[in-house]
Amino acid sequence: MVTLKIDGIQVEVPKDYTILQAAEKAGVHIPVLCHDSRLNPFGACRVCLIEAVGNPRMMTACTTPVAPDMDILTNTEKLQRIRKTVIELLLVNHPLECPVCDKGGECTLQDLTYEVGLTKVRFDAKPADTPVDHTNPFIERDVDRCVLCGRCVRICDEVVNIQAISFINRGMETMIGTAFDQPWNCEFCGQCISVCPVGSLNNRVYLFKNRPWNLEKTDSVCGLCGCGCYIELETEGSELYRMGELPEKGANHGNLCAKGRFGFEFVNSVKRETSAKVRAAGELADADFDQAVVTVAEKVKSIRAQHGAEAVAVLVSPRLTNEEAFLANKLAKEVIGTGGMYALEPHSSLPEATYADIEKSDAVAVLNIDVTEANPILGLAVRAAARMNEAPLYVFYPSETALKRLAEKQFTGTPDEVYASMTRLVEGQGAEAAVLEVLKKAEKPVAVYNPYNTADLWFVSELKKQVPALKLAAARAKANSQGIVDMGALDAAKLKEGIQNKTIKALLCFGENPAVRTGWADLSLDSLELLAVTDPFMSETAKKASVYIPVATYAEKDGSFTSLEGRVQTVNRALCKGLKTDAEVVAALAARLGGSLPSCSCEVRELIRKEVPLYKEADFDGGVISYPYAVKGEFEKPAKAAAGEGAYFLYPSSLRLHSGSYTRWSPDLAKVYGEPKLEISPADAEALGLGDGDAVSVSAAGITKVFKVHVEKHMTKGCAALPEDYVDTAQIFSKGRYHKVSLGKKG
Amino acid sequence: MKNIFDTLLLTEIFQGLGITLKHLFKKKVTYKYPFEDTPIFPRFRGVQYIKTHENGATKCVGCYLCQKVCPSECIHIVTDCGPNGERLIRKYELDLSRCIYCGFCEEACPVDAVHMGRNYHTTDSTRDHYVINMKTLSENYKKELADAQAKGEQL
Ligand code: SF4
Ligand code: SF4
Ligand code: SF4
Ligand code: SF4
Ligand code: SF4
Ligand code: FES
Repeated sequence: MVTLKIDGIQVEVPKDYTILQAAEKAGVHIPVLCHDSRLNPFGACRVCLIEAVGNPRMMTACTTPVAPDMDILTNTEKLQRIRKTVIELLLVNHPLECPVCDKGGECTLQDLTYEVGLTKVRFDAKPADTPVDHTNPFIERDVDRCVLCGRCVRICDEVVNIQAISFINRGMETMIGTAFDQPWNCEFCGQCISVCPVGSLNNRVYLFKNRPWNLEKTDSVCGLCGCGCYIELETEGSELYRMGELPEKGANHGNLCAKGRFGFEFVNSVKRETSAKVRAAGELADADFDQAVVTVAEKVKSIRAQHGAEAVAVLVSPRLTNEEAFLANKLAKEVIGTGGMYALEPHSSLPEATYADIEKSDAVAVLNIDVTEANPILGLAVRAAARMNEAPLYVFYPSETALKRLAEKQFTGTPDEVYASMTRLVEGQGAEAAVLEVLKKAEKPVAVYNPYNTADLWFVSELKKQVPALKLAAARAKANSQGIVDMGALDAAKLKEGIQNKTIKALLCFGENPAVRTGWADLSLDSLELLAVTDPFMSETAKKASVYIPVATYAEKDGSFTSLEGRVQTVNRALCKGLKTDAEVVAALAARLGGSLPSCSCEVRELIRKEVPLYKEADFDGGVISYPYAVKGEFEKPAKAAAGEGAYFLYPSSLRLHSGSYTRWSPDLAKVYGEPKLEISPADAEALGLGDGDAVSVSAAGITKVFKVHVEKHMTKGCAALPEDYVDTAQIFSKGRYHKVSLGKKG
Repeated sequence: MKNIFDTLLLTEIFQGLGITLKHLFKKKVTYKYPFEDTPIFPRFRGVQYIKTHENGATKCVGCYLCQKVCPSECIHIVTDCGPNGERLIRKYELDLSRCIYCGFCEEACPVDAVHMGRNYHTTDSTRDHYVINMKTLSENYKKELADAQAKGEQL
């Protein structure tokens, strides 16, 4: 510990602190421009200059470490004068278009100009007039406004680890760009936008749509993937305008991915349904809400009277909040009288490692999942471990992933080869034995895996037996994938069986879209006498419904989601589109069926505390639940991954831009990735005579589908990948996750 | 006694008529609105206008400051990104039936676009006509400009 004085205030801080950190602790404000607490000190802007008594030179507070007995002055007349000049110099090259610039109102340079009281610039402004770059789908770039603080370059390197952008040229010519002026080819996470202190990098989805002082801000949680990012929903009236990041709150440190940051537009979509529908004479016809609920309730009653309560099943989706899932469970058990509700989510694995565990880990294994694509923020934690903590990182995945540049070793190959590799890992044989040794020796080893595949569960449970210290992170796919399991959702295998052998006659499907889910797309729902579906959109399943009720999205409801870390976080309603929430639908149904359930989330939360032992002490504002186990169950050692006879291995890939069926309704994400594409390696593409965008037919397990080709140099020769959660691909993957397929050029 | 005289000779009435007579020849003070305009003071705040550039494009950059500052919430703006990546004003509406003519919008505008005009003829038979848009506001500017030029004044 070091003791020093800042503006006369004595503070004691650890010796690796910078003067800026010490000042923060002392409660002294030092203006900064190029500094960001998430990034390494850089010292580019000189705005944070301070004086140390007895030292004639001034120092930058953000980069200078503290020393014992320093006497720091942060606001002398000399400093004020110099700060003013620094800002003046910055403004020479910075066009003063504040009323037009999208950053107006939240621009650090604007704020600093006010703060130092600058009213007149002594130097002639010489703004360049470089054209604004609109080529990137998500990022608008105006290099003239750049103050060369390097925050974007640093966050893309230090946190995202993509190094998509850098300083190019020198001296007066310096600017931010890509090597050889290539188009930005990156993760589109928008982290660079979020740190840019001026309006040089702007969010194109929000571009010129509104202004910060005009927007209402509501803290909430992203409702798309299982990462559970803490966000700020920025709204005006009933429109959602922007996803803001909150670096101080939440486990994601303000980082978001392309889906969360740019994909929210589906909430405002005009394609959303506004009226309930009841099927009459084969067609779905508009009905009012009460009528729809009555129809469902009457049908449920008659089916229950005829076939017993077990003929009615409830299926919930991970879009439901914990509160809603809890109510749905009560509806199933107490009001209808069945065994409970089902969900298409695995039960054998529960959260264990938190992001902090992963970031601090000293050895990381990523098992058969493209984690930066599937769960981008979990991916950032893995990157932080490998980059900042220098933990050895081992990646097992059929193709090369974005973790390539950080991985100590990658084990790629066909799915069969990857499984063989993982088998050698758990058995401690071959080249993989060394990896097992590293994991065994590590103090805080972590493994990230895909919990949706039972074959993978065998590997992690075996690995856990070998390395008891290993902490597991199950990469759950959707916003509340964990929460609905915690609220008692049952394994849906029984539901599938019930529908297949027709013992289930009525299905109340809350938000789920089985028609595009792997393992379910081949299930015919036609034998059901009642299929009631709630969904914000007319989904593939909703189209088959006998009663359809449009419902609110995550931005329009209160409740909580449990992330893949096991972190319970509160979701707050930011806007209202006049639609019912799933909780209200459940409550209305219960009332019609002669029960009574509350729909207000605080009431339900009390019930959860009482009735769900895991959540007895839960802190719904970011507390982590401690689970009884990480993986449990008997898993069979997978024999061969892929079935079938074709020449190519097909496996499901993850997409950063889409997680399931929600994001497909986002017009902005669809611009970049609108339809499923088959990824193959350049060598295979050449052999098949295919180029980017060509049509290719994929035949597997008796199904033939046509997709567009995307030639991807990271793909392993002999492999092909398709994204999950599209109607066509779900049908293929429902026959098995891995296939030997034959590919043929079309047309 | 005097009282009886006054009453008999109707002096009071004639006195009164005298005053009327006097005023009959004085300069009149009543304005026959709407056939005649009342004079207004130089800093009078009437219906707003929005300035345009020489090429006719609006000077307003859609910064939402006037909307934010307006105490009676009568301004409604919708902006978007134009085809060439420029700031585009999709909608600028001002509800004159709510406006209290405080002039805050004029004060807040950073680009000298919206101004309080001198026109106060707002009566109409339906409330709908009280909501004016960018087109009307720009036309108001043209009118104000013509008026000012006619009077040899600066706008
Ligand atoms: S969007 Fe993300 S990956 Fe792309 S340049 Fe910005 S920070 Fe880097
Ligand atoms: S683009 Fe923004 S964040 Fe990047 S260096 Fe310039 S001002 Fe800094
Ligand atoms: S989609 Fe997932 S990673 Fe992306 S912002 Fe939302 S929660 Fe975070
Ligand atoms: S004059 Fe006042 S009330 Fe009227 S539009 Fe302007 S700010 Fe609003
Ligand atoms: S303050 Fe001026 S520039 Fe801004 S929106 Fe209003 S009229 Fe337009
Ligand atoms: S904030 Fe310290 S030099 Fe920029």
